[in-house]
Order: sequence, then structure tokens, then C-alpha cells
Amino acid sequence: METNALNLFFLGKGGVGKSTSSALQAVTLAKQGYKVLLASMDPAHNQADIFERPLFEEPTRLSDQLLVKEVDINLWVKKYLNNVERQISTSYNYLTALNLQDYIKVIKYSPGIEEYALLLAFNAIEEAYNQKLDYIIFDMPPTALTLKFFGLPWLSLIWLEKLLELRREILKRREIITRVQLGKKEIETDKILNKINNQIEDYKRIKKIFSNTDQTHIYLVMNPDKLSLSESILISNRLKEYDLTLKQIFLNKYNGEDTGHIEKELPGLTITKLPFSSRPIIGLKNIEAFLAEMNSENNGQL
Amino acid sequence: MIFKIFKSVWGNIIGAFKAYNASARGRLVDVTVWEVSELENIFGLLVLGSFVGLPSPPMQITLDLLPDMERELIVMLEKVDTASTALSEMFSNFDVG
Repeated sequence: METNALNLFFLGKGGVGKSTSSALQAVTLAKQGYKVLLASMDPAHNQADIFERPLFEEPTRLSDQLLVKEVDINLWVKKYLNNVERQISTSYNYLTALNLQDYIKVIKYSPGIEEYALLLAFNAIEEAYNQKLDYIIFDMPPTALTLKFFGLPWLSLIWLEKLLELRREILKRREIITRVQLGKKEIETDKILNKINNQIEDYKRIKKIFSNTDQTHIYLVMNPDKLSLSESILISNRLKEYDLTLKQIFLNKYNGEDTGHIEKELPGLTITKLPFSSRPIIGLKNIEAFLAEMNSENNGQL
Repeated sequence: MIFKIFKSVWGNIIGAFKAYNASARGRLVDVTVWEVSELENIFGLLVLGSFVGLPSPPMQITLDLLPDMERELIVMLEKVDTASTALSEMFSNFDVG
């Protein structure tokens, strides 16, 4: 029987331990017998350091159950822009396309492409592994880029629905002109309308994946300090704007402090406490040792 | 004789209606064509706004639609010529003055 993988997103302020928490979760689930892919979406990839081996766009098998990959954002930007460039050169004659190619090359440095490249990578991972694995774990970039990533379908849909409305008005009037001039109704196939409709469908699908708790769980990683908490509150509020909810909190570098203030500010979320470790959690052996320690201490379940 | 006169008058009435119909259709087409070009200009400005410093949709929407927007680009370029006399263009399209 085909299974649908559950997407687990690990996000939080820079440096709180998203990569460590996601690696711990991936190893835990793999140990429990689930098929897991850990995908690093952070351009400053840390998983290679954590697992002490080079990682690539193509997943590396760390055990029978565990695959790890580092998403190459530049590769996705390049793939996407090559596709746009190809479409432009086939759609335009050489006069209108003059110098356009050079402009397109500049686009890769413009803001907004990075989060779209992440979305393309997410789509590709979903498509390739959704039916094959039990869990796909995404180690996300720091807050700003992650929020742009989650907000992109939401923001794009606002624009696309307005553009669709305007396009329909244009086509309605073009149809009137044809009917008056030729005395008959000619149904025009409009490439732009089709493209807008296709994009709307795509974004609605992605938005549904993100907001469906049977398909996606969003985990917030934080430290017990004040700065980490205030950024976590900001993340939680922004996600609510996109109709997304947090599933649970990973409190990393926990030193036994009272967590009442966190429960008060971010109510209703389970807090998984990852104790402060005096030795670095680097290498599969150390990860497993840390997990074993956690389990023996408090029946710890990630 | 009376029949001939009636036929000729009737023919003239029909002719007048046809001429009026053609002229009305022509006016309707002119105004609608102008309206479409304005809507296409707005569509172009919204989608390609980032090229001229206007707020615009996320970049991938622009890049996806750009290859099929030759017509809108041409309309936008034409509108630039009349941008300083937009009101007079509108009055002439509505036959005012």
C-alpha cells in the first residue's frame, strides 16, 4: 500500500539548534524503523558538519532507513531561470527580446528568487519521496527566509487572484469586439489566463499541504533565553497570518529552567526539552549517545 | 406607383438603420478597443511593475507570464507616448468637445 510521508519542518531563530534538533528527530524516527529523509534547506548547510561527511543535492544513505540531502538553492535558481530564458527566446522574436537575455541573468541576484527556489526544491522532494517514505524532515533556514517561504503561496495567491480577475475583464471585452466585428463568438485561448490558472492551482495545492496537519507538522526550535522567545512569538504570529499553526516546541540547550513563561506566551504547544550537552552533538555516534542518554534520563521521546 | 414609393422609402429607412447600426458598432468597437488597451496597460504595469520601480507580484509570477506578454509590452510602450495627454485621449475616445 502506498503511504504519504509526513513533512516535518524545523524552524526558529538563527543558531538555536534547528539542524541539531532535526538531525536528532531524523535519527530517532529512523531508529524506530521509519523511512526518513532529512533535507537541509538552509543555505548555510550544517548537516554535513553534524554527520561529518559531505552531503549533496542527491541524497546520501546514512543507514537503511535514513537519507540525508542538502538542497542546492543555486542549482534550483539556475534551473528555473534557464527555463524562463528558454521560454522567452521561443516566445519573442529577436527584436523584442534584444538584451532581455542579459536582464534575465541579473535576476538571479534579485530578492524573492531564493524562497521560490526553496519552494521548487520542496515540490521536487514531495513529488519524489512522498509515496516512498514515512517522514520528510526539513531543516529550515533562519526566520526571515523561512517566513518568506511559507508566505509565498499565500502572497502569490492574492496577486494571482487579482490578476485573474483583470485578465477575465480583458478577455470579456476582446470577445465583445470579435462578436461585433465578425458577428460570431470566437472562443479565444489565452496563454496568460491558462498560466495564471495553473499557478493558482499549484499554490493552492502547496498551501493545502502546509496547512493540513495530516501532511505537515511545523516544529519551532528555541532556546530558553528572552531573545529566542520573542522571535518565536513573532514566528508563531506570522504563521497564523498564513493560516499555519505550530505543532510543538523543541526547547534546545535546556538547563532545567522554569518554562512557565514560554507556556504562557505560546500556549497549547507541547514542549520537548533537549538538555544542554557539554560535548558537541556531532557525528552519528554522538547523536545516538545523546539520544540514549535522553531516553534513560526521562523516557525521552522526541 | 404607391408601392414603388413605399419600397423606396422603406429601403431608405432600412439603409439609414444599417448605417446607424454600422456606425454604432464602429463606435462600440472603438471605445471597447481603447478600454481593452487601458486594461492591458494596467495588467502590464501590475505584472511588470518591478521593471519600472512599481510594487509588483512575487518575481516568479512576473517571470512566468513575461514570455507571453509581448502584446502588453507593446501597449505599454504606446501608452508612454500619450501618458502626458491621457485626458485628451479619453475625451477624444468619448467624442467629447
